Amino acid sequence: MSTGAASMRKLITSNLLSMFGLVTVSIFLVVTVAQIVSSGAILPYSAYQPSYGQANLPPSLSHPFGTDLLGRDMLSRVITALPIDVGIPIITVGLSAAIGIVLGTLAAFFRGWLDEVLMRLTDLFMAFPTMIMAMAIAATLGPSLVNVTFSMIIVWWPPYVRLVRGGVLAIAAEDFVSISKALNSSFFYIVRKDAIPNVLPTILVYATFDVGSALLTLSTLGFLNVGIPPTAPELGMMVSNVTYNLFLYPYQIILPAVVVAVIVAGFSFLGEGIRESLDVKLRPHILIRAKPPKEFETKSQ
Amino acid sequence: MIALRDFLPYLGRRVLGAIAVLIGAMLLVFFISYILNPDPAHLWAGARASKSTIAAVVARYHLNQPWYIQLYYFIQSYATGNLGIDPQTGKSILSEMEFYFPNTLELVLVSMVMIAILGVASGYFAGMHFGTKIDHAIRIFYLATWSSPYYLGGFLAILVFSTYIPLFPSGGMYSLTLTNQPAHITGIYILDALIQLNGPAFLSGIQHVFMPAAVLALLDFGLVARIMRSSILNARWSTHVKAARSKGMAEGEVRRNHILRNALIDTNTIIAVTFGFLLSGTIVIEEIFAWPGIGYFTYQAIVSIDYPVLVPCVLLFTLGVIVANFIADVFYSLLDPRIALGEGGGSEG
Repeated sequence: MSTGAASMRKLITSNLLSMFGLVTVSIFLVVTVAQIVSSGAILPYSAYQPSYGQANLPPSLSHPFGTDLLGRDMLSRVITALPIDVGIPIITVGLSAAIGIVLGTLAAFFRGWLDEVLMRLTDLFMAFPTMIMAMAIAATLGPSLVNVTFSMIIVWWPPYVRLVRGGVLAIAAEDFVSISKALNSSFFYIVRKDAIPNVLPTILVYATFDVGSALLTLSTLGFLNVGIPPTAPELGMMVSNVTYNLFLYPYQIILPAVVVAVIVAGFSFLGEGIRESLDVKLRPHILIRAKPPKEFETKSQ
Repeated sequence: MIALRDFLPYLGRRVLGAIAVLIGAMLLVFFISYILNPDPAHLWAGARASKSTIAAVVARYHLNQPWYIQLYYFIQSYATGNLGIDPQTGKSILSEMEFYFPNTLELVLVSMVMIAILGVASGYFAGMHFGTKIDHAIRIFYLATWSSPYYLGGFLAILVFSTYIPLFPSGGMYSLTLTNQPAHITGIYILDALIQLNGPAFLSGIQHVFMPAAVLALLDFGLVARIMRSSILNARWSTHVKAARSKGMAEGEVRRNHILRNALIDTNTIIAVTFGFLLSGTIVIEEIFAWPGIGYFTYQAIVSIDYPVLVPCVLLFTLGVIVANFIADVFYSLLDPRIALGEGGGSEG
């Protein structure tokens, strides 16, 4: 396994894009975990205690993100929001991928009516506009973090079923799986030893990219005040609560929104970078120091 | 080009498939709303409604009937086109949607034109300069804009281009001070103004639609640029391009006829697919730019959990996605006949 980890590390560090993504994602993950574990002890200031003498201060060295209209440090408030803004997207994508692996493998292995039913159901769910469906479900269930995660998963799983099914179908056609079947291996043995290890890289790359999309949807739900409880710290909601300050204190709106963008960018750069490094077609062109074959492109007329 | 005799059966299959998905979506929406919302009468009548008001709401929406009777009324209302009355405003839901939808269509169509231009151009340049600084700059730009939430783009645009540099109005669809407003024909304001040769109204419409459409386009063109770039990479190193060059074809001709044209086949479909993304994006953008569109209308329905309005809105969005996918598939099969003939394919080199 060590060679796998080593080649994975090389894969990520060889590409600037994924390198940037990895650094960003690591920083945010570390801060998130630290915030959860220390339950707020890492914060430079209290995120809740108002101090009216310090209201609406612009960004400075002591308050890098400025303060809000109650004099609370914005950086501390942004950090308190990270467990929700990083945690829920990861949970959503993780559970969706799990659903995808179970349903996709079942569909690909048993084919027939089960495959047909699952695929039509997936098509149906994919036809719905993600954001609106998630909003409608979250609004109906009422504001709570569990409900909002649930409503995100309901609209999030379909692409994973397709992805896993396609991958498993491709593998099931391979000789080593036919041989395994001929040797009377059980269904679970083939799934565990052949199917899952072969589709997992694709799923991981897609999921890395997808955590960013999930955060975009989540923070939009927060921005529209749908599903997320008013007391829960969430970046999108933090923005929408002070939109009336846009012209007076723009940093109060722009900075939390930029934090959302940076987290999403971290995950998508990481996913995109790994995807490109894994792309067999591009590999020769990357390996020769990004010089595409020039011999045909210089004047041929 | 594909023969009509092969194309028509394919088209028929696709139409039937699209209708089946739409009917399935209707049933699914009905059951989801039925399961999620066990006691809608209280929600729609309001928290402090009297018993008689609740009874009236129950009677009007057949809420005391078993689910199959409700399903019957549900299907009947769509079959006859009589969607009923909006519990919030008291107006006919269909007429409200007829008012709001063209406005959203205007926003989304303008934005799609921008996406097509931006996405194809940047994807082409990135792909043709693979591995260089131009490529990196373009990719970082579209990945970064793609990662930005709509509200960041919307607020930044308002802050910069209507406050610090007052170029565009920060909201609304047209100038209210304009005395000579175009008459309502299609409902799409700039189109109405254009048909009636109303210059000032047309200009004001363009000025108002530009910023929200540009924000939508800038935040969503990454998808198109990304596909365009990888299709260009696929095409430019393929054997048929090498063959064209080695037989002495001029470089411009190779790029135009062999690289660009092949890459556009894949990109066409993805441009249609962005229609669905844009529709979802309109919820936030219309809220920020005070644009009276279907996204704003749907959002109002969602916050007040107004199912009689929400269900047709969700179905309208779904219909939009289905129609866009259908058009994309048909385009794809016209450009690449192997699809309709069932040979699979895509533009492998």
